[in-house]
Amino acid sequence: MNDYKKKIDELLLSVEKPARYVGGEWNVPDMKKQAKAKFCFCFPDIYEIGMSNLGLQILYDIINRHPDFIAERCYAPWTDMGAKLRENDIPLLSLETATPLKDFDVVGFSVQFELLYSNVLYMLDLAGIPFYAKDRGGEYPIICAGGPCAVNPEPFAPFFDCIVIGEGEEADLELLKKVAEGKEKGLSKVQILEELKKIEGVYVPSLLTEGERVVKAVVKDFENAPYPTKPLVPNIEIVHDRATLELYRGCASGCRFCQAGYYYRPIRERSAEKCAEYGREMINNSGFGEISLCSLSTSDYTGLMDLEKELRPFIDEKKITLALPSLRLSSFTKEMAQSSRRSSLTFAPEAGTQRLRNVINKNVTDEEIGNIGRAFEAGYDSVKLYFMLGLPTETDEDILGIAEICKRLRSLYIEIRKKRNLTISVSCSVFIPKPSTPFQWEAQISLDEMLRRQKLLRNALREIKGVSFSWHGAETSVLEVVLARGDKKLAPVIVRAYELGAKFDSWTEYFSWDIWTQAFADCGIDMGEYIGEISEDKDLPWDFIDIGVSKKYLLGQRHLAYQGITTKNCREGCNGCGANKLGRCTII
Amino acid sequence: MIVLKYTKSLDARFISHIDLLKHIGRILRRAGIPVKHSQGFNPHALLFFSPPMVLGVNSYAEYVAIDTDMNGDEVFERFNNSVPDGLKAINWFKTDKNPNIQGKSVSADYVLDVPYFEFDYKDGFEITYKKKDDMVTEDIARKIFGIFNADGRLGVRLASGNNNLRVDRLATGLNEKYGKDIKITTIAKIAQYVDVDGKEIDVDLYLK
Repeated sequence: MNDYKKKIDELLLSVEKPARYVGGEWNVPDMKKQAKAKFCFCFPDIYEIGMSNLGLQILYDIINRHPDFIAERCYAPWTDMGAKLRENDIPLLSLETATPLKDFDVVGFSVQFELLYSNVLYMLDLAGIPFYAKDRGGEYPIICAGGPCAVNPEPFAPFFDCIVIGEGEEADLELLKKVAEGKEKGLSKVQILEELKKIEGVYVPSLLTEGERVVKAVVKDFENAPYPTKPLVPNIEIVHDRATLELYRGCASGCRFCQAGYYYRPIRERSAEKCAEYGREMINNSGFGEISLCSLSTSDYTGLMDLEKELRPFIDEKKITLALPSLRLSSFTKEMAQSSRRSSLTFAPEAGTQRLRNVINKNVTDEEIGNIGRAFEAGYDSVKLYFMLGLPTETDEDILGIAEICKRLRSLYIEIRKKRNLTISVSCSVFIPKPSTPFQWEAQISLDEMLRRQKLLRNALREIKGVSFSWHGAETSVLEVVLARGDKKLAPVIVRAYELGAKFDSWTEYFSWDIWTQAFADCGIDMGEYIGEISEDKDLPWDFIDIGVSKKYLLGQRHLAYQGITTKNCREGCNGCGANKLGRCTII
Repeated sequence: MIVLKYTKSLDARFISHIDLLKHIGRILRRAGIPVKHSQGFNPHALLFFSPPMVLGVNSYAEYVAIDTDMNGDEVFERFNNSVPDGLKAINWFKTDKNPNIQGKSVSADYVLDVPYFEFDYKDGFEITYKKKDDMVTEDIARKIFGIFNADGRLGVRLASGNNNLRVDRLATGLNEKYGKDIKITTIAKIAQYVDVDGKEIDVDLYLK
């Protein structure tokens, strides 16, 4: 036990949920092996959220399987623990061996969404590592980033030595190999970065030349890609407290607002046999009581019925449950409703009218919304519905259409079940135009307009019995757009916001709109610059990132949106988005 | 019914009781120990635990009763192959007796990491602690059943079960009253007692 571990143990009873900071989860791999390079995964949110992240578990497993490398983890300490660390002069430590982040060869941040940017700085600060890459000499580890936000890395690029764009399975190992080689040969940091730049998917901000593009890394053989069949089993309850089975990557639906749907193309399915095998192994190795199927649109998975059939005897024998998240209405059947045995079902029509759903290419028809009736037949009394406000071309009629859907479901329920106790929860987020989507050029509606539309909907829903309404914070949605579509000018704003006290921005109790508006003012930057519509001929900060899907295709989709013309699901035939130049679309 | 006696120490001592209940279920599942379930719409595994431990305190006398047909040696071995170091089983018992140890518990022995000293409690021992948002003062004299010399360290027997005294509260009281520096994370529970016909019996003997 090192001294830091002892010091931490003494602090633990003075903070909330001490088990967040002790590690020692079941299935933590051998940390004592001789390693040529050591990596520390940093997740800029608390343990319960970070431990639920599948991407991190996949990469952690891949690195630790390699004989020459070790990966450890570090989650953002909650503010109570952060303060204790500072008071006691303890730097931020890895969970497994209580090693200061500074002592690793590579420190990698998983950047999941925009409101975590301030927490990246919070963690670097606690670790005693300077924020800007240019201020860090060879005595510091290589600090890198990855995750969905790498789709537009510019606002945080100045903080990192390199950024992995796309999928890290192969790129992270290559990166460690080159770092280990560089160490052996005694290369300087710049020389190592020059080597890293040669890896597909690796962006080195300090070495990017004019006109150069970075091509996203893609796992070509997804069927045989390694999978963490020995998942870490948390000691405290986490957000997704179950075994997670990834069925496929990418999405065939082509919803025009969805960043993940474009970023993770090409679509690659894993066979049902393989998925079932992984599922059984995961349960046997972890003891989890539930398997959750995970992909962008699980019910579209070609092998879903086969997988269910294959897993059923095992599930019954082990008395575990199989969870089906994010259902698409078009592929929902009564069998699924019955076999999943849950109290509530979740659907995402996203928009209230057929017209607007055509605009966003959410290919759900009014008729298909009627499919929810099958859930009622199967005994469900509760439905969750997700919508977005502020979508391009949205009118008040579209918003009131959400209430119409609720009314329709209510009468459908009464008709089928002959009783009136249906509960519907409507959850609304605000549309955020995201990079690398057909809507990347769109404006976001103003704060006042968001509030007006929320009020309009709230009033309409109040008149319907059994409906509850929740919505996302309007201010955080504004900040999210600004950071999502930002450029390098925003890095100093993030630093300023952190200095003013911004951290845990994704937690309503910590988010402060005042801090952020102050930070923008202090840096002389107008937020409005990033919120309005962007002209189609303007260069975008993320144009140098090649995600496979061409800008021309995105633009074409935008124009189709305005005409209300839908694009067919990729499963019905290729739409020629361009993603297959990075790997073959495989639908089994 | 197989009862495992196990430890809750090292990193595992920071796992809360609620999380531990879930944890043991997972351990048994990955260990391949079949557990009988209750009947009904939401069947749950038939497991019975000793009283909750204070977070951060070590224990070498925790018990879980498992309704299973597997033989004790195999349960013991499989369990220990599937747990982190802090949660190792140290003994097992086969019993037909009432497995609800928590309901029968009356007291427990703890060793505090401080040289043995005698302190006065029989005429009253008031402690003050925070309960939710209020400060509470309580006379715990009647919940201290005795003190003993545990190889030079201070041993105490405290109420445990429905009538309960949290050992960390006593330790904090001793620190304040006698200027000691007992660290909660070094306290160890070494024995659990149950009430059998009005007698205090060590759970190990009760199960034998």
